[in-house]
Amino acid sequence: MRFLAFALALTLPFPALAQDRGPILTATVDEHILPGFAALSNASGALAQAAQSDCTATSPDLRAAYHAAFDGWISVSHLRFGPSETGDRAFALAFWPDTKGFTPKALSGLITAEDDAIKTPQAFAETSIAGRGFFALEQMLYDTRFADQGSNTYRCDLIRAIATDIDLNTRAMDEDWANFANALTQPGENSPYRSGNEAMQELYKALVTGLEFTGDTRLGRPMGNFDRPRPNRAEARRSERSLRHVELSLIALRDLAAHLSADHPEIAADLDGAFDKAITRAQALDDPALAGVADPQGRFRIEALQQSINDIRAIASTELGPTLGISAGFNSLDGD
Amino acid sequence: MTRFFAATSVLTLGIASAAVAADAPSKADVLTTYANIAEAKYDDSLIAAKALQEAVNALIAEPSDATLNAARAAWVAARVPYQQTEVYRFGNAIVDDWEGKVNAWPLDEGLIDYVDAAYGGPSDENEFAALNVIANPSFELSGATIDASEITPELLAETLHEADGIEANVATGYHAIEFLLWGQDMNGHGAGAGNRPFTDYAQGDDCTGGNCDRRAQYLSAATELLVSDLEWMAAQWAEGGEARAALSADETAGVSAILTGMGSLSYGEQAGERMRLGLMLNDPEEEHDCFSDNTHNSHYYDGLGIQNVYLGSYTRIDGTPVSGASLSDLVIASDPSLDAEMKVKLANTMQALGRLKSTAEAGFAYDQMLERGNEGGELLIMGGVDGLVDQTKTIERIVTTLGLDQISFEGSDSLDNPDAVFQ
Repeated sequence: MRFLAFALALTLPFPALAQDRGPILTATVDEHILPGFAALSNASGALAQAAQSDCTATSPDLRAAYHAAFDGWISVSHLRFGPSETGDRAFALAFWPDTKGFTPKALSGLITAEDDAIKTPQAFAETSIAGRGFFALEQMLYDTRFADQGSNTYRCDLIRAIATDIDLNTRAMDEDWANFANALTQPGENSPYRSGNEAMQELYKALVTGLEFTGDTRLGRPMGNFDRPRPNRAEARRSERSLRHVELSLIALRDLAAHLSADHPEIAADLDGAFDKAITRAQALDDPALAGVADPQGRFRIEALQQSINDIRAIASTELGPTLGISAGFNSLDGD
Repeated sequence: MTRFFAATSVLTLGIASAAVAADAPSKADVLTTYANIAEAKYDDSLIAAKALQEAVNALIAEPSDATLNAARAAWVAARVPYQQTEVYRFGNAIVDDWEGKVNAWPLDEGLIDYVDAAYGGPSDENEFAALNVIANPSFELSGATIDASEITPELLAETLHEADGIEANVATGYHAIEFLLWGQDMNGHGAGAGNRPFTDYAQGDDCTGGNCDRRAQYLSAATELLVSDLEWMAAQWAEGGEARAALSADETAGVSAILTGMGSLSYGEQAGERMRLGLMLNDPEEEHDCFSDNTHNSHYYDGLGIQNVYLGSYTRIDGTPVSGASLSDLVIASDPSLDAEMKVKLANTMQALGRLKSTAEAGFAYDQMLERGNEGGELLIMGGVDGLVDQTKTIERIVTTLGLDQISFEGSDSLDNPDAVFQ
């Protein structure tokens, strides 16, 4: 007995002595991750078809399909690892923030040169990520500067190429998740995750990075500072999706947080209450493009929303992380 | 019985690891080496910046191809020690608060001097993207009229740098000087760097590009600022300096700062922002040293800085070694195989960055590597990215092994003072 007990003590990392990560990893993959990528892939397929049927920028069907597919992406956009990172897929789906105006530059470049790269999906996939994905499509559908640039035919083909590229990209993510699911749920030698703790860290990192991005970037960039608000920096403001992205990401992150805190009901309740407050605040705002950052009344309400997101972050980092024995590690927002 | 034995065993294990820990260097010694290396690196950066200043003075006094090339060579040399200091960012607040003055990037260079017509004018993001202060002795900024009749270090540092709160308005530091020495690189994805003629500094009728006197003033002021900024930072790391004091205030937080700098520079900054993004955008100007085409060196010495901080061993620009108790020694004491893993990964990254550097030096420039469909270039850059991403995973494992998990990775109000959030 003595030998056995000693061996057992040796194999268990001390702080995480009793935490079996298996059930949470499996439930998160099956209930949170896989359905999200399946929904995105379906909506993107419909988008590609809508663009084939009618590539007119103002087409109501095309715009509706664009919104539905973009919704699908925002709901999984916090899952930036594994199949999302392969082949720069997440970047090619959503290049934002675009601090140096690469997207209009890339689109103008393609249109002016009548670049043949749009003729095949393979060639289009080699072009700059700034001219691909949802933000490029948004400018083609909603920005007046592209309404009459170049020929009708080329613009139409470009819109179709972007929609097809989104479809192929999201389908590839969805398909790859079938395999990558095992990497997360069965960590070890055949997985990039050496242990259940490392797999759990990936999910916890997705939660805190997602919150950071929504609070500091989605809201923080247009807010600028009081003297110099920056409404033009709001995400997807041309199609008035800025606030919707905040709301959708909070809903998705709430679901992830509920899974991660499943073994700790008190923390789960704290997190859920904080998410509820933030989502209610987001839904009460009638400001789709976050233009209100520029007037004191609107700004006050957006600041309150941002604060409620910071409250969730505080619970995640001071209660959930330490209780799980997990730190957030490094993420892509760590640079400057 | 089982329970009792298990408890005893855990206890025994605890004693055993305490015995191992006795052979480990003290955190204080590791932090001393870390600070000594910082002091040496910033001092080397200062020495090299002073040499750059001399070369710039010679260029301004007697503009010629020879003096311009000498100034360019001095700039390239000055980057060698400076890039190795970047690993001190992200973990040390004093460095983060200061760094934007000396190495801000990317920049809208039209703020400073003339640019090609294709550069465009003011953008959605930046009204001052094409201000051209060298050609404009007076301009409006946030409702005030700015007198720029004389271009002084104060004007650059206090008014022009980050004008209108825009980070791309970079008026000072290495990259502003780089632009003034090389000019825009108009070769696109073709071979060749910026090709500013020395006559941009010629006085009287020989002047090209206009306002040569103001351009010389600007270059001189920016170089003077670089020297004084580096002087300040070197002093913070000297015996009794503030950066050193901050580190020793909490030794565990200090060790965490070393790892935070290594991880944040490896992953978010270098692998992401500087390398992978440029590749995905296929933009020839989306490289760190876009005017001089020196990007391969900037990446290489960033990587080297991460490695030599881990190993606790730096070679100064005059060949003097600086070394001592290292983070590596600390990791060996708790998990030798994890230390071996870290060393292998750091070496892999340096091999990949070395390949990038040697290929660029052989004539395949970084901006050519960024071209759409250039498979060789993509392989070279992604080799570096993959190495940096992979080493970050091991840095995270070290954080866990050394029990530094619950230390905040970035200063945040909510973490430092949770009550502030719940009030």
